[in-house]
Parts: sequence; structure tokens; C-alpha cells
Amino acid sequence: MLANVFTKTTRDRWRGTAIAAASLAAMLMFAMAVYRDIDLAVYTELPEVFRSLMNIPEGADVASLAVGVAYGLYGALTFAALALVTGAGSIAGEERAGTIGLLLGNPRSRTQVMVSKAGAMVVLTALGAAALWLAALIVPQLLNVELGQMAVGAYTLHLFINSLFYGFLAMAIGAWTGNKSLAAGATAGVMIVSLVAVGLLPLIEGLEDLARAFPWYYFDGSEPLINGVHWGHLGLLTAGSVVFAVAALVGINRLDLKGPTVGATLLDRLREHPLTRRVADRLAGSARVSRIWVKTASEHQGLLVVTAAVMFFMMGLLMGPMYTLMDETLLGFADQFPETLLVLFGGGDMSTPEGFYQVETFGMMAPIAVMVVTVAIGAAAVAGEEAKRTIGLLLANPIPRSRLIIEKTWTMIVHAFAVGFATFAGVAGGSLLGGLGMSIGNIAATCLLVTLLGLVFGGLSLVLSAGTGRVKVAVFVTIGAALIAHLFNSFSQLNDGLAQAGRWSPFSYYLGSDPLVNGMHWGNAAVLTGLFVALVGLSIILFSRRDLRQTG
Amino acid sequence: MTDQIAIHTAGLTKHYRDVEALIDLDLDVRAGEVFGFLGPNGAGKTTTIRTILDEIRPTSGKATVLGLDTHTDAVAIRRHIGYVPGDLAMYPNLTGRDTLTYFANLRGGVDWTYVDALADRLDADLTKKVGDLSSGNRQKVGLIQAFMNRPEVLIMDEPSSGLDPLIQRAFQAMMREVAAEGRTVFLSSHTLSEVQRVADRVGIIRHGRLIALEAVASLRSKAIRRVELEFASPVDAAVFTAVPGVRDVTVNNHHAVLSYDGTMDVLLKTVADRYQLVDIATQEADLEEIFLTYYRDEETVGEEGAT
Repeated sequence: MLANVFTKTTRDRWRGTAIAAASLAAMLMFAMAVYRDIDLAVYTELPEVFRSLMNIPEGADVASLAVGVAYGLYGALTFAALALVTGAGSIAGEERAGTIGLLLGNPRSRTQVMVSKAGAMVVLTALGAAALWLAALIVPQLLNVELGQMAVGAYTLHLFINSLFYGFLAMAIGAWTGNKSLAAGATAGVMIVSLVAVGLLPLIEGLEDLARAFPWYYFDGSEPLINGVHWGHLGLLTAGSVVFAVAALVGINRLDLKGPTVGATLLDRLREHPLTRRVADRLAGSARVSRIWVKTASEHQGLLVVTAAVMFFMMGLLMGPMYTLMDETLLGFADQFPETLLVLFGGGDMSTPEGFYQVETFGMMAPIAVMVVTVAIGAAAVAGEEAKRTIGLLLANPIPRSRLIIEKTWTMIVHAFAVGFATFAGVAGGSLLGGLGMSIGNIAATCLLVTLLGLVFGGLSLVLSAGTGRVKVAVFVTIGAALIAHLFNSFSQLNDGLAQAGRWSPFSYYLGSDPLVNGMHWGNAAVLTGLFVALVGLSIILFSRRDLRQTG
Repeated sequence: MTDQIAIHTAGLTKHYRDVEALIDLDLDVRAGEVFGFLGPNGAGKTTTIRTILDEIRPTSGKATVLGLDTHTDAVAIRRHIGYVPGDLAMYPNLTGRDTLTYFANLRGGVDWTYVDALADRLDADLTKKVGDLSSGNRQKVGLIQAFMNRPEVLIMDEPSSGLDPLIQRAFQAMMREVAAEGRTVFLSSHTLSEVQRVADRVGIIRHGRLIALEAVASLRSKAIRRVELEFASPVDAAVFTAVPGVRDVTVNNHHAVLSYDGTMDVLLKTVADRYQLVDIATQEADLEEIFLTYYRDEETVGEEGAT
């Protein structure tokens, strides 16, 4: 292993791990504080399928419930995603940046470089898991909550091994293809599909055992928080990681290294063909570069298409027929569903179609979908051009700095509304397909509110991008703020003392008025719009005052 | 006189935290000239340019372009300038023509037949994606971008990096034509031969301070000469260094080479007294030697400007 490659990778990546661990610890503390004050009887009486679906261990107490919620979903996903990003970037990332030639120009083998990168990934993930473990021991002490029989160590060990599985998978794909986006995208796909499958399959009779075919099952299928380490499951995940690691080593030694080239898109191919040249030229060429906001929109179109498609088909259209399928099973338990957990997913009454859509689509997925798009545009708006060193050339044109912010804001608005509209079309279509008879107007109102909510957080990332010139700061701080705002809003609904305080969270202006049932709440829309406009204004002020950064 | 001054800086100072990147720069670039801005890496050339373009704001002092303040009239100024940043980066997924269209749309008033003529002269391929071009070919797109709307003032930071000698020559001709039309070129460089060929005046900057500002012609006529002397017998270097105005002496047995600024009479009398002179050749020093001389002097005087 090469100490300096290891050190550099660790130094480049430690912030993400540290921020994630700190946020998760804060989340744990918050969850525990809320659960401490409410009656937990509802949970223990739940049927087993639902408990496992919601990460509630049998005989749950305050501590294990909080750990299950904070670490089981958010924690496991966050650390798997961090490992995934590190793995995907290990070689393919250096290729994209054009630094791979320089790195391998040194008298060190590709194997050595790869092993060092893998070492950094393992150590960082281990440190993160250890931090979570410590937090789970310390937080209950601070809040005077009994730790009970909880096997926190076993749980974080499962989380650690599970994260590495996805890290090594991404590394292997990156090493064979040299394509960072492909490695990250494919691995994230495997992770999400497997997570959803493990959640949904046990609900469908006859298919319960199929969940074992998906890797996520081996993370907490054995309920390690209660039952301790399941060595068989860990062994399987580890074996998988080893296979991927070996595949990565073989792959990297076979790969022809690439320079920082640009991939050819479908549009580029059409531009080269004589039959399609004229049309494609207009689309890819003159039309795309006609304005700053159009060019920015084209840069983010891939993300928009994927997000809008997921919201339209999966979260919209599909959920309608799904509701009619699951209706009876759910209705039987609807009353027993603990409100405490449902509020986390948007707090709908699952026995009605509106409540079902609120839990499945609008509670978490819709805000995330709009934010993915708005935060990506906001964070890159100024800081992205600075990181790519194109800002000097761009601002050498006779345009004021405020125009740059305003044009990028236009892109953000257009894309946010596109996702909002896709969600609307999907949900309205799903309601028709399933014959659910939901109010079209109310669906539209909810979609408008979620669009505005996404714009508020997009506006926050724009402020950070314009004020600091650092993409990573803009992305991470915004994600952190959104997470805290979401949790704060959810938990404040459970605790009367906090109910007023919840109004500080932008999320309360989204579903707080139950728009899917009650229709549009213009006051809330006005608050969100005002907040967004204020954030854009602040971006202009901050950007106009500072020196441009020379490098990223 | 403002209408004849293209770029003017007065007491321009820029500190990055505790680093003094630019100290009290007073500079006038006249309309219709090619101004060479010389200095080693890290001297403050790019900081000066970035301040003039309002990318960064001066700690104190001010600058004007065509009489307009670089901060308050930044947008108006940029209607009249063309800019090539040092370490040029563009959008890798756009072709050269897309890139030029993008900036042309932001700027207005671009004549596409002129763009094609420029592309022809520089032998630039505008159909390929910028990300797939070599650095020299990418630089050509950057140059066309700066020239394409016939700006009043061209500000270029190390513009010829990566260009092959033929293209460099074409580019130098383009700069001279701009000056001949009464427009102005501000050329930051450390390629001395280029500055010598195209510039009317040079400013030399070091450690954030302007240490010399002169016409290229008068810099040459400082009469620093390269003198080669051939003797009948081996010579001693000390004899030459004793003569005022002699620098950089290299003695190799019968042969001596030195830089000299003084009257030839003094030098010849001194050496002829001691040795038998067989042959002598003198050559006008080029800018590079003058440049090195300036810097060597600075170093021996002391690092007063050092940070």
C-alpha cells in the first residue's frame, strides 16, 4: 500500500464522513429525545411485517427505536453512498480529472495505487461506523435513556460491512469501464432496487423469501440490533466485497487509461450524420448556447429526465394500481399504524388513497426529487463555473454578476416545475388508473407546494454557491439543512411543546395544511415563494461583493 | 488625456489575507499600443489583470479602462474588451463554434465572416468539441473568442501558450494589426521574444511592484551589448570585471564573453593595455538579457519587495 496515495484519498474524503457521522448523531439525539416523551405501546403491538418494514425491532424500547430509525435507514444509506462515491472515484475519477497519467507516471504499479485507494475507503468507512457506535453509546447517557439489550456494536458492524459491499462494487465497475458516472449510477441502482425490494417483498404473500436474493437483506434482515452479529450474513457480504475487490484489481490492470476526454452523446452522433445534421445542430448547437439559462438547463437535462421519469412512473402512475392491490392488507392495520413513524414519511392516513400517496410519494420522495434537481443547479450555479475555471471568461462578457444568478435561477425554476409537473401527471394518472377518485386540483396544489419547497432549498444552495464559491459546501450544507428541517418538522408534530416551533421548518408549509385533502393553501405558498425570492436576492448581494475564486 | 489612455491604474494594491500580491501599481497603457507586461511566475501579472476585469477587487487604489472605473462601470467596460485568461478553460462538451456562439450571444455585434477569417488564419478547427482538442488548439478558440468582436482593448494573459511557432507568428501579426487600427493590446507574458517582436512598450513587474516601464526601443538602446573578445594568450576574468559596466563575464582560456553598457573606448583601452586583442564581435543584447539583467540587479540590491 502506498502511504501517500492512502493519505491523499483519506484527506480528500474525510469531511464527507465526518459531516455524515455528526448529522446522524444529531438525528439520533433528536429522535431519542422525542421517543422518550411518548408512549411506545403502539409499536410493540404492530404485526411483524410492518415492524420489520419500519426497522422497529421486537420489544423495541426508546433507544433501539431511535437507533433503528436514525441508523437503519438514513445511516446505512448515507455510509453506503459515501463508500460508493469513493469507490467509483478511485480510478475512474482520476481519469476524468486527467490526473491518472501523472499518478501512474510514478514508479508504482496500478495494483499498489488501487489497494491504497481501497484501504482509504475501508478505513474511512470504519471510522464513520465507529463514530456512529460511540454516538449510540453516549447519546442515551446524555438523555437519561436506558440502553437496554441493544447490540449497537453488532449493528454498526453490519452497517460497516454493508457499506463496503457497495463501495467495492462501484470500484470494480469503475476499474473495468473507466467510467465514473456509470460506476456510481449502476451501483446506486443496485442499492436502491435492493432496498426497495427488501422493504416491499415481505408484504406480498408468497414472495417473502425472495427478499433474500437482494444484498440489502443481509444488512439488517437478521435484526442485528436485537440479535447481535449474524456471521453468516456478514460472511456473504464480505465474500461479495472480496470478489468485487479482486475484480477491480484485475480490471484496472487490463484497462487502457483514458485522458480527460468528453464522451459522445446520441446528439453528437446525430450531428455527424448528414441526414440529421441540420436538426441536431440546431438542438445541440445554436439553440443550446442561445442563453445562459438554456445552456445550464441542457447541462442538467440528464438528471431532470431521470428524476421526472421516476416521479411520473414509479412514484406516480404505479402507486395507483398498487393501492388497489394492497388496500385490504393495509386497511386491517391502518388504525394500528403508529403516527409517530408515519409522520416521518409525511403522516398520511394509509386507509385513504390520499394518505397512501402522502406516505409513499409526497412525504419523502417528492421533496427529495425536486431538491435533487434544484440543489444540483443551485450548487453548481456559481461555484461550478469557478471550479471549472470558466467563470472568468463568462464574466468578461458585458453582463453584470446579478444576471448570471438570475439566469441560473430561471433554469432552477424551470426544472423544479418540470419535476413537479411530472409528479402531478403521474399521480393524477395513477389515481385514474386505480379508480381512486382523488381531486385533481388538490394533487396540483400539493405538487405546486412541493415545487416551491424544493426551490427554497435550491435557493439555499444558490446562496452558499454564490457566497462561498465551493460546490461541496453548497451541496452538503443544504442536504444537512434539509434533513434537519424535515426531522424537526416531523417530530415537532408528535410533541405538543414543539408544535409551534415546527413552523420554523419550511417543510411545515408544504404538507402542514394537508393540501392533498384540503386543497391549496395560498398563505403557505406565499411564505415559500417569499423565502425563495429572498434567498435569490441574498445570492446576488453576496456574489456581487466577493472576489472570484481562481481555482476550484 | 484620458481619451488617449486605454488602461490606467493608480496605487492599485491587492492583498490576499497577508500576502501582498500587488503593491501600489501605477500604470498607463496608451491607446493604440501593444503593451508587454513582463514578469516571472507569481509576480502579480494575473492579479493585475483580474483586478482590471473586476474578477477581484483592489484592497486600495483604482483602475480605469477607457476612462471607466473597473468596478462601478464593469459591465460597460466589458463591451469594449476581449479577454484571454491565463490557464484558459472552456466548456468541454461544446464545440468551438458552439463556444463562440455562446459568447457572441452574450456580447452581441459579432461578425461571423470575421470569425471564419480568424479561424482560417489560426488554422483552428471549430467543429470539434473543446474537450477533445489539444491545449494549443483549444487556445486558438480562446484567441478567436477574444478577437471576434473587434474590441477596443485586448487583455491577454499568456495567450500564446501551446501555440506552434507558425501560429505564434500569425497571432503576433494579428496583434500588430489591432494596434495599427488604433486599438490596444495588453499582453502579459514571460515569452520575451514575443514581447520583443510585438510590443511598443514593456512594464516589468516583480514581487507585486512595477520595477521598470520603458519603450522596447529605449530599453534596447540602454546599450547593453554582448561582447566577444579573442586574445593571443590566456586571460584573467578579474581584468574585465574591474571595468565599470561589465557584467556576466565568462572566460575560457583565450576567449572572453561579457555584457557591457558603457563606451567601447574604456573597455578596449583597459584590455588592450594588458593583452593582445586578436578579434572582437559585439551584438545588441536581446530583451531576454535585459530582462535577466534587471532581475539579477534586483536580487543583488535586496529583496525589498519580497513577501
